[in-house]
Amino acid sequence: MDLLAGVISVVVCLIGAGLAIAMGAVIPGIERKVQARIQQRIGPPILTPGFWSWLKFAYKWPIKPWATIPRFYESIIALGVVIVIFALLITLPPFWGVLGVASILGIAGLLKLEELIYVLAGSVSQSLLSVPFLRHDLAKGGTKLGFRREYFEQQAAFRALKMAAICSIPLYIALAVPFAVAKSPFIADVISIQNPAFFLGGILPLPSKPIFLTVPGFIATIVYFAGYVMLLNEKPFNIVKPKVDLIEGVFLEYAAKYRTYMYMLIHIFTFVLSSIFVTLFLGIPLDPTKPALLALHLALTLPLPVLKAVLAAFSPVLTFRQLYPASMGFTALAAFSLVLALIL
Amino acid sequence: MGLKATARKNAIHALLVYSGGCNGCDIEVVNAVFSPRYDIEQYRILLTWNPREADVLIVTGAITWAMKEPLQRIYELIPEPKAVLAVGSCAINGCVFRNLVGDIKHNPEVFAPLEKIIPVDIKVPGCPPRPEDIIMAAVKGVPKLMAAP
Amino acid sequence: MTEEQPRESVIVEKELPLGPVHPALLEPFRVRFFVNDEIVEDCEVILSMPHRGIERILEGLPVERALLITERVCGICSNSHAWNSVRVIEKGLNIEVPPRALFIRVIAQELQRIASHLIFIGHAMEVVGHETFAMRAFLLREEYMDMLYFIGGNRVHPAVPVIGGVRPRCEISDSLKRVILETLERSERKLRNYVGRVVADPLVMGRLTGVGYLSKEDAIRLHAVGPTARASGVEWDWRMEMFEYKPFTYDYVILYEGDNKARVIARALEIFECIKIVRQALKDLPEGPVVNRDWSPQRMKFTDSYNEAPRGELYHSYSLDDYGKLRHYKIRTPTITSIHSVEFAAKGDHVTDAVVTIASCDPCLACCNRVEIIDEKSGRRRQFTSMIEVIKKYGWRR
Ligand code: SF4
Repeated sequence: MDLLAGVISVVVCLIGAGLAIAMGAVIPGIERKVQARIQQRIGPPILTPGFWSWLKFAYKWPIKPWATIPRFYESIIALGVVIVIFALLITLPPFWGVLGVASILGIAGLLKLEELIYVLAGSVSQSLLSVPFLRHDLAKGGTKLGFRREYFEQQAAFRALKMAAICSIPLYIALAVPFAVAKSPFIADVISIQNPAFFLGGILPLPSKPIFLTVPGFIATIVYFAGYVMLLNEKPFNIVKPKVDLIEGVFLEYAAKYRTYMYMLIHIFTFVLSSIFVTLFLGIPLDPTKPALLALHLALTLPLPVLKAVLAAFSPVLTFRQLYPASMGFTALAAFSLVLALIL
Repeated sequence: MGLKATARKNAIHALLVYSGGCNGCDIEVVNAVFSPRYDIEQYRILLTWNPREADVLIVTGAITWAMKEPLQRIYELIPEPKAVLAVGSCAINGCVFRNLVGDIKHNPEVFAPLEKIIPVDIKVPGCPPRPEDIIMAAVKGVPKLMAAP
Repeated sequence: MTEEQPRESVIVEKELPLGPVHPALLEPFRVRFFVNDEIVEDCEVILSMPHRGIERILEGLPVERALLITERVCGICSNSHAWNSVRVIEKGLNIEVPPRALFIRVIAQELQRIASHLIFIGHAMEVVGHETFAMRAFLLREEYMDMLYFIGGNRVHPAVPVIGGVRPRCEISDSLKRVILETLERSERKLRNYVGRVVADPLVMGRLTGVGYLSKEDAIRLHAVGPTARASGVEWDWRMEMFEYKPFTYDYVILYEGDNKARVIARALEIFECIKIVRQALKDLPEGPVVNRDWSPQRMKFTDSYNEAPRGELYHSYSLDDYGKLRHYKIRTPTITSIHSVEFAAKGDHVTDAVVTIASCDPCLACCNRVEIIDEKSGRRRQFTSMIEVIKKYGWRR
């Protein structure tokens, strides 16, 4: 019996990971299409930015990146993909029995680890595009010589550290709100107070009272969305990789296969955060054993990326001058909702 | 058609390097080709600014003395398979900057044509070429990419 | 300039170089930011990349053929270069230009000014990071490119002026006149709508307001020109002096804020003044021939001419020898003088804001640049016309 349960949970986890990859391949295309329609153009086909780009980069010939520790730089991004998928897996039902992992600590810890990937990758990479590009700087007679010359990636890592320190706080506080409502750190309890029917079985057990529809839950949703955009470094919070000064930030040197991993990291992360939102705030877990519920879950993960695309189409890059107040405002809002959740 | 060729056909990243022409071709490529009226993205060509990501290198302008070396280095950075698009008479034959010189007979500042510096696959003549031509040429570069191992 | 200023002691932590192939700059030039944390303390713009030796290849060309090259100095404001180069010889040899030709030149110039300003606004929005506004500006610009295409037969280099008038192909017929008027009508409404939305957007304006301040004194001291200077309150526009613009009534856009927002809005408002000029010119278009072929190249002494290009003051000058060949062609483009003022204005802002400031003078570097080397001990100067000469003589320091 135990063996059967074990096999089932492994299969469920594999299906979960497969779903994450499949959704990650589609979501960027949908986002791009939404943006293109806002900008009054047709835009690329849905699969182009996601699926076909991944494949194409995988088929490119390998190249050695310009980095101080090339192997480390390459492997860190594969690690990132694993972390992201694992962050999704611990919200799946098979993990609920494992105390201590399937809790807020597990999710928050993995997301924090994810942010560190940026810092680690950025600090070893040395793209051609910034410092070594041109020798004119050091021509004879130059007045401004002898400074430390910074690569784009290092600057981006520096900014990523700042963002990880300040701008991800709203997301973590908002993440705590469902757990505060459930008065328990475990995901199973969060599901059970929203969706008691889920544990009774049935084809489509709908949540009876999702946290999203309560006052603290709604405020927390707004903050979660802001934090979602901040964590994914999308516009307007993309100071880590604004096209106008750092081009692509820490990911400049990934080529061929590793660029596939990099895109997988970003795109799957988009899905995973959205999925965590649906699980925690709407009470609909990602459970591959119930197909109807699964379809509903996947459909409900789409609004967040689409909203993100709309926001990105209508907003400029914000610098730290605007980011600090914005982050503080969202933190205050999140703290307010947390207090409400604990009182009510 | 194998999966490899299909993938290469369906996602093409183009990098623009402007190597010192008059700005005309440059503006035509960026602002007209990527503006909503012509919108090259619908033909599965995406603009990028990172050589590590690019498949197609679009070069405009007569290659000036200062841009020659950066151009070569950027070309080397692009992972194989890659295609090079020379847009405008400047990149193809030097336009007026090479052919209409006064007393000095030979202009040492420009290194056009581009072929002398990096291998060129597709040429788009015109000063500047019309956006329609540029789109057509960029799409023509696809078979070479697809055929590569 | 630098000797009067007291040297401020700033701590420069590191250097952050951008370019020459970079999405924010497009054209090849390199910006070195000297930053402390992320605040720009000093900034250096290196311009020499698109040097094509234009002044040198013009030396000794027959004057009629020079137009081919001068037009290709810049692809955004090609008409102002072509026009200014024919103005020099028309002034020097007293060539009579038919009034209809003058009007058509003004029309082409103003249409191109609008297209250029729309590029600027689109580019500024792209640098700010707002893609939708950028795309929208490029979409609006297409209509003006179409009109230039109808007039001259080429979208970028319409080649409207020739010595003594305009090219006969660029004659504006009645039907073309109607097309242009209708398009202007349609696009002016769209433009008003667009500019209104840009100005009302709180996020974009939050990025632009109060960043990159350039006072009037600094603008004059660093010789900012064109809309960059006018946004700082310098009341000067070369169109005030040009006899071609005398028949038209329109306003000069002078703003006093001197920040990035003012530089964007100054250009946006100027577009509407350009539309006014085009309307008037089309309405009172005089009848008659468009070109006067009654001249011959002969000796001409050194003559100069100024013109208001979209980016500001443009200077062309040359002399002709006995065979009608060009001698001592000199071009000074607006960007070369303006860029130092924004280099100055970029100090004290975040790097991402500083890039916007650099872009806000509308840099268009497809121009000549030259090198001057001053020997500090003897005070001897030597002008070089090419980078190669400098490198050959002095080499690289590595
Ligand atoms: S081909 Fe013509 S339009 Fe293009 S860069 Fe050269 S001169 Fe300019």
